[in-house]
This record gives sequence, C-alpha cells and structure tokens, in this order.
Amino acid sequence: MKILIADDSRVMRQIVVRTLRQAGFGDHDLVEAADGQEAFDKTTAEKPDLVISDWNMPGMTGIEVLRQLRAAGNNVKFGFVTSECTPEMKTAAEASGSAFFIVKPFTAERFDEVFAPILG
Amino acid sequence: MSVEVEVDENDLAEMVEQVWEAYLDPEGVSPLMQTYDENQPSEVHSSVSITGSWSGHVVYASSRAAAKRAAAAFLAMELEEVSEEDISDTLGELANIVGGNVKAMLPAGAQLSLPQVVLAPESSARYPNTERISGVYGLWEGEPVSISMWQSSTDTKEEGA
Repeated sequence: MKILIADDSRVMRQIVVRTLRQAGFGDHDLVEAADGQEAFDKTTAEKPDLVISDWNMPGMTGIEVLRQLRAAGNNVKFGFVTSECTPEMKTAAEASGSAFFIVKPFTAERFDEVFAPILG
Repeated sequence: MSVEVEVDENDLAEMVEQVWEAYLDPEGVSPLMQTYDENQPSEVHSSVSITGSWSGHVVYASSRAAAKRAAAAFLAMELEEVSEEDISDTLGELANIVGGNVKAMLPAGAQLSLPQVVLAPESSARYPNTERISGVYGLWEGEPVSISMWQSSTDTKEEGA
C-alpha cells in the first residue's frame, strides 16, 4: 500500500517515516509532500491508500487539503498528526471526514494502534 | 492584568520526558538526566515566541554534539553524515515541538511563531524585557541540553531607559 506523509518540516516527515518503520509498516510505499498544495496534487496524482498530514502548513493547511479532496470526490483515508489538539480542531477534522487524530509527541505503539486496522 | 503562568518546572520536565521517549530515546537507554544547572553552557539554540494568552519565548539550547546526535536520531542518519543544515532543521523542529507542548499547557488563545535557529550559545540571545520563569536543565549522554521559558515583562518602561 502507498502512504503519503504531508508536513512542511523535513525533520518531522523523517520522524513519521521512522515511527512507521518502528511500528512495523516500513514495507509500504512512502511518498512525501512538503506543503498542502503538494499534498493535494500528489494525493490526486498518485492515489495513496492513506494520507498522514500535519495541520499547520504554509499556503494550504491540512484541513483545507482534506476538504478539497472530499469536494473532488476523493475518499482517501486521511488523518492528522499535529502538535496540538483543540476541541475545535477535532470537530473540524471529523466533520471533514478525518479517520484519525494523532497528537505529538507520538510513539510507535500509538501508530500501530491507529494504523494496524487501516494497513493490515 | 497579566495571566499567572501555570507551567512550572515539573510540567516542563514531564513534557521533556515524553519528547525524549517519543523521539530521542525510544528504547529508554539514554534519557535526559536533570542537573538543575541553570548556567550550563550551550553552543546552539532555537526558540519560538508565544503571544496572546501568554507572552514570551520557549528556548531549546544544547551543545553542538547533542544537537548533532538529535539530528542523527530524527533523520535516521549516522553521526558522521549529519550536516550543518540537518542540525539547523532539527533545532528548529525541537523548538517547534517543545513550544507546541508548552502552548498546549497555556490558557486558550496562545499563538506560536515559526522557530528561530541560531548556531551560537543561548547566552548570545537577546530577548528584550523578558525574565526566565521556568526551565529544565540536564545532560544527555554527557552533553548539556536545556528547555526554558522566558516571560515578557508587562511593565511599560522604555527599553534602555
């Protein structure tokens, strides 16, 4: 399966990659996006099975990417990894069709708990 | 009326422990050992400013060797492969991570800036009209690392007056 990781921080993308490997999902095809527009474009073009997205990204935010994908009829499994989690953010994420909401700092155990049902 | 800050050393220490467990020491073999030495030297530092419900800065400072080890851990690289850019990016992300966690502990309405990275000692930093109100100071594999909070002064005295 293909996983797209969207975060404007190169370091954070690598942390997500490493944590996916530690959780046992390292054999999946991993694609990276450095901002929201790139995340939207690559999700449309490469049709990943899962998108793991940051919330705050320059230009287009993660929630905007999700809303535009849904508006375009794209039902990709999409969720957030972010440094803060307000009730407003969670509500907006769920209303837009987010599958999960992981708060930093995260662990391999948390990734396994969330992604095992999705990735098998 | 200024908001009384509710993030103390214990809150910071607990957050730092979580960050280490999650990112820098997932196998639990080399935690940050607190030394409480507020004057320990640093060689590089990064910071984020917070405005809104609380006003000030969160500063991450360490030796260059500690920053290099953090970069190697974050980027899954060998120590000898770590470049200056890798160190800088890692310091920025560390400030972002600890700043985001501090923000989550503050009253609603705080805003976080983008991180500033300086490959120079923390003592070279200039945060006008601020005072240190909280901090965690320790050694990681023998190398100094610190996370501190600097609250902006609420007095209206002219700078330099």
